[in-house]
Amino acid sequence: MSFNRDSLVALCLILASGGLMLASFEIREPDYGVLSPAAWPRIIIIIIGGLSVIYLIQSFSTPQKDISPVPKKTLKEFVLYWRNVIAVFSIFALYLLALPYLGMLVGNILFSFILLTVLGGWNAILTHLVIALGASGGMWILFTHVLEVFLPRGSLTGF
Amino acid sequence: MDIFLEALLNIIDPVTLTYMVIGVGAGLMAGSIPGFTIAMAIVLTLPFTFSMPPAQGLATMISVLVGGLSGGLMSGILTGIPGTPSSVATTFDGFPMARAGEPGLALGIGVWSSFCGGIISAILLVLFAPQLAMVGLEFQPWDFFMLVMFALTVTASLAGEHLVKGLIAGAAGLFIRTVGEDDAVGVGRFDFGSDYLLTGFDFIAVLIGLFAFSQLLSDLRNPVTARNALSDRKQVKVKIEHRRAIGILFRNWTVVIRSALIGMFTGILPGAGGSIANILAYDQAKKAAKDDSKFGKGDPRGIIAPEASNNAVEGGALTPLMALGIPGDITAAIMLGALLMHDIVPGPTFIKDEPALAYSIYIAFFLASFIMIGMQSGVLRVFVLVTRIKTYILATVILTFATIGVFALHNSIEDIWTLFFFGILGFIMRQFGFPLAPMILGVVLGNIAELNLARALAIDSDPMLFFLRPWSLFFAIIAIFSMVFPIYQKHRDTGSLLERFFSPLVLLSISLPLFMMGGLLRTTLAFAAIAVSSFVMWRRFGKTKKG
Repeated sequence: MSFNRDSLVALCLILASGGLMLASFEIREPDYGVLSPAAWPRIIIIIIGGLSVIYLIQSFSTPQKDISPVPKKTLKEFVLYWRNVIAVFSIFALYLLALPYLGMLVGNILFSFILLTVLGGWNAILTHLVIALGASGGMWILFTHVLEVFLPRGSLTGF
Repeated sequence: MDIFLEALLNIIDPVTLTYMVIGVGAGLMAGSIPGFTIAMAIVLTLPFTFSMPPAQGLATMISVLVGGLSGGLMSGILTGIPGTPSSVATTFDGFPMARAGEPGLALGIGVWSSFCGGIISAILLVLFAPQLAMVGLEFQPWDFFMLVMFALTVTASLAGEHLVKGLIAGAAGLFIRTVGEDDAVGVGRFDFGSDYLLTGFDFIAVLIGLFAFSQLLSDLRNPVTARNALSDRKQVKVKIEHRRAIGILFRNWTVVIRSALIGMFTGILPGAGGSIANILAYDQAKKAAKDDSKFGKGDPRGIIAPEASNNAVEGGALTPLMALGIPGDITAAIMLGALLMHDIVPGPTFIKDEPALAYSIYIAFFLASFIMIGMQSGVLRVFVLVTRIKTYILATVILTFATIGVFALHNSIEDIWTLFFFGILGFIMRQFGFPLAPMILGVVLGNIAELNLARALAIDSDPMLFFLRPWSLFFAIIAIFSMVFPIYQKHRDTGSLLERFFSPLVLLSISLPLFMMGGLLRTTLAFAAIAVSSFVMWRRFGKTKKG
């Protein structure tokens, strides 16, 4: 019996279930309706909590060799291992924050160009620029002119 | 007849036909790219269909689906890497046949098997969906609630040893749909004072995030493979040998029909899709063959079986969707999302209430199979070009496309945040071994479950009715057995009590609700179930005693 990655996930789920159960008591109870708005979510939370306890017990009884081990790495190795994923998350979050200011067209061109360059390297920077302009511009034309979908304009760029 | 004509005119409209051709082409491409699943292609098509009339939108999605199911064989046969999990078994004989100098024949057999599987399942869909809908008319809210629970447990049970993780994922999917205003009384839930949470998560953005975004992140994780192209082939000079392939299919018609039936049946089961059907059909084709020595070395039957079955799956998956409003697999769940997006709620009365739309689905299914045949040769050339694109370029373009698509749903930047959050959640879940299929089904079916629970309790507050009504008891029983199934599988060939008595116990248990349903057919089925169960138990118990 040992504490492993699955045990940690199970514990987090149990804690989350507890937190959500507490939050369910904040749901207003109206005087009308048969099923309380909090009833169904509570049933689900109880099920998740119960299953998480089973998951925790299972995680203790699972032999270590059956569990994909947590890579024991330094922070630098961890960042290097996950660098592409971290890059996508970070660039996407920045893109979302900048979207109201840059607008969909400029935002998408910048997002795809930066992401392509970060993932693919600086050697093919011109190719990345062409792809970013072509793909984002093409999609912008398709959505705004063919499908007639309004795409957000940026407060700084104006389009 | 008028309705049929109306549906036909809906589909053969030049704009719809154009969308269908583009859809089949996109599906063929998506299916042929390893790592780019059919579900991902369908989910990315969804935002496009928002501005289309329902029949046109569904026809486009069906075209992507049919194309995707057939596209996997190109990659599997030519490179040995299956384009989708639905065509894993195709590589067993398709790749050896191609390497032996017959790639055109292998592709021809695959294409025509896919076509036959699709057509057979389309015919069965037309025949069975209305019959199943008639059964569905007997369902009351208790039964629908239990049917959703059954769909979730059976999907979770497909996670095998990770059943608990599958069940947690399914329950989490149900929970996600509770965030925001309650549909029945309009009370905010789990909004924590945020307007964004009060409006709830748009479930299509959730689906795209969970499925597409997380998949792209997984593809990009390794910096080395992210910079590689899928294939370094410069060109493929292959001419699909249609005539020879059709001749071989005629000689092996029993394999075609058996495999299509396996695919159809697998598709009807919630959660079980082409990834299971193609292996099952291959296995059955091998077992049924008088001489199986050529299997694995380029036997045509080894291509026919998986390809006919994986295309038949969708006819099966659409049957419970159209008849009961319960999707048979993830792609059908996304189709359900498309229908809900247009304020159409499928259920037992769907075929009766929306006959033109139902017929449009049937016609689109047939037509897409023909378009697929016509487009295979052309797409083959494009496939080679696409496989030369580096993974990170493909992923970035798809991600940009997904972002605009999600925004286009409601012109809302909040939906892109939803895509982002659920992309992260989906990626983490993949890393920790949680299956995504039960969660997606939970998200899609969450509202249906809650609505039927509320309706049932409004009619009668006695919760025991969930276990006392024949159909709900039936679904409860098979839901329980579906959860035990992974344990049964683990004990197979061990001679344990569970292995010996699992099947007879299933039969014995379902005989009770069958008796409760009444009527000559169901009572006869109940007696038959008891008779078979008793016979099997007697034989196995005898063996146990002797042992």
